[in-house]
Amino acid sequence: MNRIELHNTLPCVFEGRDVQSEVWLQDVVFRKGETYLVEASSGTGKSSLCSYIIGYRKDYLGNISFDGKDISKYGVSDWTSIRKNTLSLLFQELRLFPELTAMENIEIKNGLTGHKKRKEIELWFERLGIADKMDAKVGRMSFGQQQRVAMIRALVQPFDFLMVDEPISHLDDDNSAIMASIMMEEVQRQGAGVIVTSIGKHMEMPYTKTFRL
Amino acid sequence: MMSLVWKLLRQHISIAQLAGFFFANLFGMFIVLLGLQFYTDVKPLFSQDDGFLKPEYLIVSKRISGMSVLGAGESCGFSEKDVADISSQSFCKSVGVFTASQYKVVCSMGVNGVARFGTDMFFESVPDKYVDTDLSNWTFSPEEGTIPIILPRTYLAIYNFGFAQSQSLPKISEGIVGMIDMLVVLRGNGQEQRLKGKVIGFSTRLNTILVPESFIQWSNAKFAPEADLTPNRLIVEVKNPTDDAIVKYINDHNYELEDDKLDAGKATYFLKLVTILVICIGMLISMLSFYILMLSIYLLVQKNTEKLRNLLLIGYSPVRVSLPYQMLTVGMNGVVLILSLTILFIVRRYYMNMLWVMFPQMQDGSMWPSICLGIGLFIVVSMINIVAVRNRVMKIWNRKE
Repeated sequence: MNRIELHNTLPCVFEGRDVQSEVWLQDVVFRKGETYLVEASSGTGKSSLCSYIIGYRKDYLGNISFDGKDISKYGVSDWTSIRKNTLSLLFQELRLFPELTAMENIEIKNGLTGHKKRKEIELWFERLGIADKMDAKVGRMSFGQQQRVAMIRALVQPFDFLMVDEPISHLDDDNSAIMASIMMEEVQRQGAGVIVTSIGKHMEMPYTKTFRL
Repeated sequence: MMSLVWKLLRQHISIAQLAGFFFANLFGMFIVLLGLQFYTDVKPLFSQDDGFLKPEYLIVSKRISGMSVLGAGESCGFSEKDVADISSQSFCKSVGVFTASQYKVVCSMGVNGVARFGTDMFFESVPDKYVDTDLSNWTFSPEEGTIPIILPRTYLAIYNFGFAQSQSLPKISEGIVGMIDMLVVLRGNGQEQRLKGKVIGFSTRLNTILVPESFIQWSNAKFAPEADLTPNRLIVEVKNPTDDAIVKYINDHNYELEDDKLDAGKATYFLKLVTILVICIGMLISMLSFYILMLSIYLLVQKNTEKLRNLLLIGYSPVRVSLPYQMLTVGMNGVVLILSLTILFIVRRYYMNMLWVMFPQMQDGSMWPSICLGIGLFIVVSMINIVAVRNRVMKIWNRKE
């Protein structure tokens, strides 16, 4: 997948409102290999945008397409394949499984894709400073620690685009820098595009383009 | 990895609910299968088809009154006029007469040459067309000297329970009638002849020792050439055995029908009724247990909605996340099936042994109807389970949960 395009897209709930946005009701293209920052205020539909692109929600007007193909036409198997092989999303609400350990949370995804070796995963845990938490239940970890686990999970799959929804909201600058570098290593290795969203604090990276939502 | 998914999705499984389903379903399934099995096992005893006499054939005799015993009343034989009268009735298709042997018959019986018991007896015949058997077995020629014989089934019981038991001889079943050897001595008209008898089967409806007509004709001519051949019984082929006109005619003429079919019919009817009732109760229990299972699974899916949704969002297909619950239900259904068939097998052996003691002629029926029913139920219930789980997961996919 090379392009994610939005044409006149608008969340249904914003219909009739006076929307000032560089994304909503615009023609927007995200290209593979580029890095984008979507800056937003609360309530401007940032998480909605992510939900639309991952195929979780369809409550929008206008049109979203991947490589020119309208995603509202995608079926269950298309989305399953896209979520497994093409598009990875780090959810703002993380969507980890609190009853599993940190490592199990990664394995449940890596087992599906077979993308990374356990050694590589362990190395990421170490670099992110949560190696000691590998076998701890995610439910017992702080949100900041969970964010790092969620990032690793987002990376253990092949993707053309990586979307990260407020990935560093609970991280200090050092840790967010490590997270950004791990993320970009994998993104570059895969030649993928990145869409980072933020409502203030964001990863310091050379962005190709910044959108105000 | 599947084990990780299972580890995740087995959260909130209620062992108590599943155990409740399991035992209720086991109980229900067992009752359904037992009902059917018992019915198939016992039914032949009631509706034992008389292989030698079609149901449209009725046997008519004159009612024996005190007067006729003393010889003062009317004769207990049918005159030609009587026969013609029956033939002319609208319910009647054809009439045949029983011809009895008019000489002395002594017969001794034994099994494979072991101890014999002998008795005076008689033979009767009906026209061959009324005997529903392979006619190549139903012939007699004086040169061969073997008489094919059909015995009343009660004789078998007399042998098995009376004779064989007291003489510690093996009981025989209908399947091995060939083992019975009979030696028949015919005396009359100053002659004596020894012949071999061969039992070719048993009849429930014929209270006589039936031999081919050709044999009776030959032997009566040889041993009792001058005897009176007035028949005591008639065999009547009717158009419809349930016709009321038959009963009326029989009663009006003070005749009797030799027929146990009515009782057997009633018994079969009640057997059917009880079986259907039992199967219905079993089905009801099974359905209730199935309901428990579905509720339990729905509850489980409900409680694990968030986990299922997250699995779907990280790339698991609905098929894959449905699988653990589908396997759980199908697995339980399978165990229930196997267990209930096993219990059925054990229980059946127990009651069959009891039945064999009472009815040694009983054939060993098959368990296939029950096995098929069990497998059929298993497949139907499992399919419903599979579809129901899948639909629930699809609801989550479509964000309707």
